[in-house]
Amino acid sequence: MEFLTTYWNLVPVSLAQGAVYSLVALGVMIPFRLLSLPDLTSEGSFPLGGAVAAAMLASGFGVVPAIAGALLAGALAGCMTALIHLIFKVTSLLSGIIVLTMLFSVNIRVMGKPNTALFNYDTLFTKLLDADGGTPMTQFILVGAMVLTVCGVLYWLLHTELGLGLRAVGSNQIMARAQGLSSTSFVIAGLTLAGGLAALGGATMAQYQSYADVNMGVGVLVIGLAGTILGEAIWGRNTLLRQITAPVIGSICYFQFVALALSLGFRPSDLKLLTGLFVLVALGAPILREKMKSRKRNLRLIGTGNRHKRGPVPEKGRIVR
Amino acid sequence: MSSDNIQAGLHVSGLRKTFFPGTVQEKAALNGVDFSLGAGEFGIIIGSNGAGKSTTLNAISGELPLDEGCVVVAGQDMQRRPAHLRSRHMARVFQDPMQGTAASLTIEENLAIAARRGASRGFRKGLKNVERDWFRTALEVLGLGLENRLKDRVALLSGGQRQSLTLVMATLNSPSLLLLDEHTAALDPRAAELVLNATLKAVEGQKITTLMITHNMEQAINHGDRLIMMHAGRVVLNLDHSEKAGLTANDLVARFHDVVSDRMLLNRPWNF
Ligand SMILES: Nc1ncnc2c1ncn2[C@@H]1O[C@H](COP(=O)(O)OP(=O)(O)O)[C@@H](O)[C@H]1O
Ligand SMILES: [Mg+2]
Repeated sequence: MEFLTTYWNLVPVSLAQGAVYSLVALGVMIPFRLLSLPDLTSEGSFPLGGAVAAAMLASGFGVVPAIAGALLAGALAGCMTALIHLIFKVTSLLSGIIVLTMLFSVNIRVMGKPNTALFNYDTLFTKLLDADGGTPMTQFILVGAMVLTVCGVLYWLLHTELGLGLRAVGSNQIMARAQGLSSTSFVIAGLTLAGGLAALGGATMAQYQSYADVNMGVGVLVIGLAGTILGEAIWGRNTLLRQITAPVIGSICYFQFVALALSLGFRPSDLKLLTGLFVLVALGAPILREKMKSRKRNLRLIGTGNRHKRGPVPEKGRIVR
Repeated sequence: MSSDNIQAGLHVSGLRKTFFPGTVQEKAALNGVDFSLGAGEFGIIIGSNGAGKSTTLNAISGELPLDEGCVVVAGQDMQRRPAHLRSRHMARVFQDPMQGTAASLTIEENLAIAARRGASRGFRKGLKNVERDWFRTALEVLGLGLENRLKDRVALLSGGQRQSLTLVMATLNSPSLLLLDEHTAALDPRAAELVLNATLKAVEGQKITTLMITHNMEQAINHGDRLIMMHAGRVVLNLDHSEKAGLTANDLVARFHDVVSDRMLLNRPWNF
């Protein structure tokens, strides 16, 4: 039972990490769930947020301007993805890949080098906790409060006229346009918001680990996705409140599993493989289940299992009850 | 007649649309469509499959860019306005019951969005408490009990219920023009009748200028102020209220045997 004590010691750190990554998870959830538009930009806007915050902190800006700068930069990146997608009619996935690839160079330019250490500078954590940047538990509480604030703002925003419009665009663009909502503007707004959140996550991460690195974004999208899916599996997403909090709960739980995996002897480098497998299973399970069900249903309907005995397919008058 | 009266209603002239021009799949869907509806007039379009009825409606609503032609609604030239800006003047109900509502939003949220169609939107509350009574009253007319399910997601509703909700959304704040594209065709007979009755009640009660596509000749003959028949991207028959007064389905079939599609014959309300 030695791995349990190892895990127990990892709990506070994994809680804090989960809270930091829940910001990215929120930035992943918005395009995937609210806009129904898969977007990979967070893989680039997360390190962008880290780079901008680190560069600004290192050149003497305060904590608040550094975080605000990171947020703005990420929002701009999200906006870029949306514009490429809408103007050049490139799929949202490819637009995101183009933007995140370009951001790799941008991030090095921003910092002037591939990474920046922040050990000698004031950060969110040294300012608000203690000179050492707090303990994992106080860090968790601080980031947790920040995440709750973000969730509150999102909850308010998504209940405004514009927020309702955004959700309508994500649900049905034809309906949205027929109701006077410009689907393009809302896609831009949604991806901008998502980019800002991912960058806020990056800025928080850089200050949390006192270190920003161009490669800190690798795999962050799948982590965000894993958090979102896990949260939805635990907590559901059939109300807006649940949809907003699912990525947070999911991220925190996800890092508990990571801590468990590490205490069981997996190497940190194995984690990306495990996370990928987890996302694959989570995404694939409902589809496989549906396939099994419809196969059984067909067999029952047809009786003999002969597809050709179902008769002609009705032309147009599809009956919908 | 004042210029206001001439302008009110719907005026459509010279609509042309060719899909995939210059390719082997080239398809001229509209070959110069002209017609007008006066303010408050209820026009019904019939015509064979592929006649260009939906294309006409999509051109009016701005979902489909035209090659040529002019659309004027309530005195406003709609040219070059994108669909979402045209929606200030017009509301739509689609053939597919899934297209008119946002499934992941609740009934009341869908109605709140419809209540603001054409208005500018900001950071105000998207749904005010006082609006709920208005929504309930509007839903009660349907007699489906939807007024007690304001907080249900639309995804939980049947096709007929969704189509009824779409109709309420479209007529909630009397649009200048209502566009209906075979909006009962995908429903089972009972739901279709219910939605049709609700449509007639709203259109006649609020005197909304309405353009309805149907493939049901009985509907086309019994209702509406104007009957428009389309074929091969053109209007081939345009009868006003008095001209269509004595019309029977048999007359139509006799005069337009080649135009009337099998699908319409299947819906015939008569026996030979
Ligand atoms: N998006 C499209 N792309 C290509 N062809 C189309 C498209 N929409 C309609 N058409 C063609 O235009 C013609 C008119 O279609 P439509 O207006 O849908 O007919 P209907 O009168 O049955 O509603 C048809 O031949 C159809 O195949
Ligand atoms: Mg059609």
